[in-house]
Amino acid sequence: MAMRAALRCLSANFSPRLPQLSQVSATRLQWRSGSPRTLSTSSVLSAALKFTDKHEWVQVEGGVGIVGISNYAQEALGDVVYCGLPEVGQKLEQMDEFGALESVKAASELYSPLTGEVTEVNTELAENPGLVNKDCYAKGWIIKMTIEKPEELDGLMDQAAYDKFVKSLE
Amino acid sequence: MSESTMMSQVRRTFSLLNQRACSSSCSRSSSSFFTDSDSAGLVLQSHSTDVYQNLALEDWIDANVDLQGRGVLLLWRNRPAVVIGRHQNPWTECNLPAMRRAGIPLARRRSGGGTVFHDLGNLNLTFFASKKAYDRQRNLKVVTDALRRLRPGLDVQATDRFDILLNGRYKISGTASRLSRKSSYHHCTLLHSADRSTLSSVLRPSCPGIQSNATPSVPSPVANLLDHAPSLQWEELLGALVQQYNTEFDLHSALTVIDPTNESMFPGVGEMEVELRSWDWTFGKTPKFTMETQLELTNEQPPACCSARLQMEVKNGRIESCHLDIPVDWLPVRLSGELSSVLIGERFCPHRAAAAFSALMRSESGATHTRLHRLCDAILTVMG
Repeated sequence: MAMRAALRCLSANFSPRLPQLSQVSATRLQWRSGSPRTLSTSSVLSAALKFTDKHEWVQVEGGVGIVGISNYAQEALGDVVYCGLPEVGQKLEQMDEFGALESVKAASELYSPLTGEVTEVNTELAENPGLVNKDCYAKGWIIKMTIEKPEELDGLMDQAAYDKFVKSLE
Repeated sequence: MSESTMMSQVRRTFSLLNQRACSSSCSRSSSSFFTDSDSAGLVLQSHSTDVYQNLALEDWIDANVDLQGRGVLLLWRNRPAVVIGRHQNPWTECNLPAMRRAGIPLARRRSGGGTVFHDLGNLNLTFFASKKAYDRQRNLKVVTDALRRLRPGLDVQATDRFDILLNGRYKISGTASRLSRKSSYHHCTLLHSADRSTLSSVLRPSCPGIQSNATPSVPSPVANLLDHAPSLQWEELLGALVQQYNTEFDLHSALTVIDPTNESMFPGVGEMEVELRSWDWTFGKTPKFTMETQLELTNEQPPACCSARLQMEVKNGRIESCHLDIPVDWLPVRLSGELSSVLIGERFCPHRAAAAFSALMRSESGATHTRLHRLCDAILTVMG
């Protein structure tokens, strides 16, 4: 339903003869943050998400990487009760530990998908760590970071490759 | 075990443990260990009873031993100590003044979960495994199966919160774990004959009025195994656990005693211990919190009393902001402002605060000095 409404809305925004690409991507991004459930099932809309084999995802938006954990990871963790987050300004190498999520007495380390510097942490998680479970691809994002080595993105999995990877684990 | 068997056991353990630590500099290929039929598992016992040395040993094994296709069980115990979970607040979890008086150290572990009291009557078991093989219920089954085999009459059950309950009610074991990139460890306590009165006296909050999102402990009624199985000896318990671990994981490992301060066996373990001992780790890693509390102040000469309000924000264990609301007839605004400002940036620690106050108090005399003194004492008391 949401998808169909979204598509209607999309076509209404287009001029019939000359679709503007920039407009398309801007509209997509808006929907992405607004309807995360749709996102996880749609390969078209989630094309920009890249995954590590440690189940972190990163999405590039305006040159900044938004980082969170995948649906598979949040399901495996169970209810997250505390998010140990880094300080803004912390420099990270790809695969560095940058914090930990605690659930049912287990602390699970988080690993940076890219090299860069932490520019923002999701302060909502302090009061509401369960967002990581409820909305892992949108409101449950964990940090934002600069992207020092864009080529590292090429080494990460896209949604299709990640889905395949997760299947291989089951 | 004969001495030569023992030595070869130690040597083999040494090489197993070091295979990843020296993989870049050692010529020996690690593949030979995988083909070694005995290398699928190891059962170790720490010779140390120092909480920081033992926690450092855990970190070392987790970071350096290749756990793909291999499990390691480490048995250890500590002299009296309080151990908090990774994301906990020591000021709300334990009675720091009582611990200082009794000389009981505080340690923060890297795993999740709640606060526990350790002493020589409490056995700790750490199950190291690959992340894939991580299975807490299976590990707890080793413990409950061993106990049932030792004393068939014991009613012991693991719960879905990974505690082990005796008679459906008393906690004899608590769990915590840490998951890293490829490896994992799950450790649990097992109360054999711990000092329960010390346990309950130290696991009380130190400070009033703390608000935080830190992980709180869930207090439970506890029991010692010895109270319900009076003839159960420590060595007997250890032996049964080793045997059951071998049975559960189809291994044939003998117990090997190791020394976690041995730098040649565990290169870098000393540095890990130093970090675990540091204030910046133990207290500094406390999740951000605020304290808001009332201070009742009395003065004998001239007789007077008043109440003040203290508000502090503490980040990384340091006081980030401090507001003191105190009637001006008790203390001039200038002084209460100065008092707040000497605390900013200081550790949330009564010793540091006392040092910061002393300079301020030296500059005052007479009645103001006495009142300032009372106020400083009241602040130190609420800081644990």
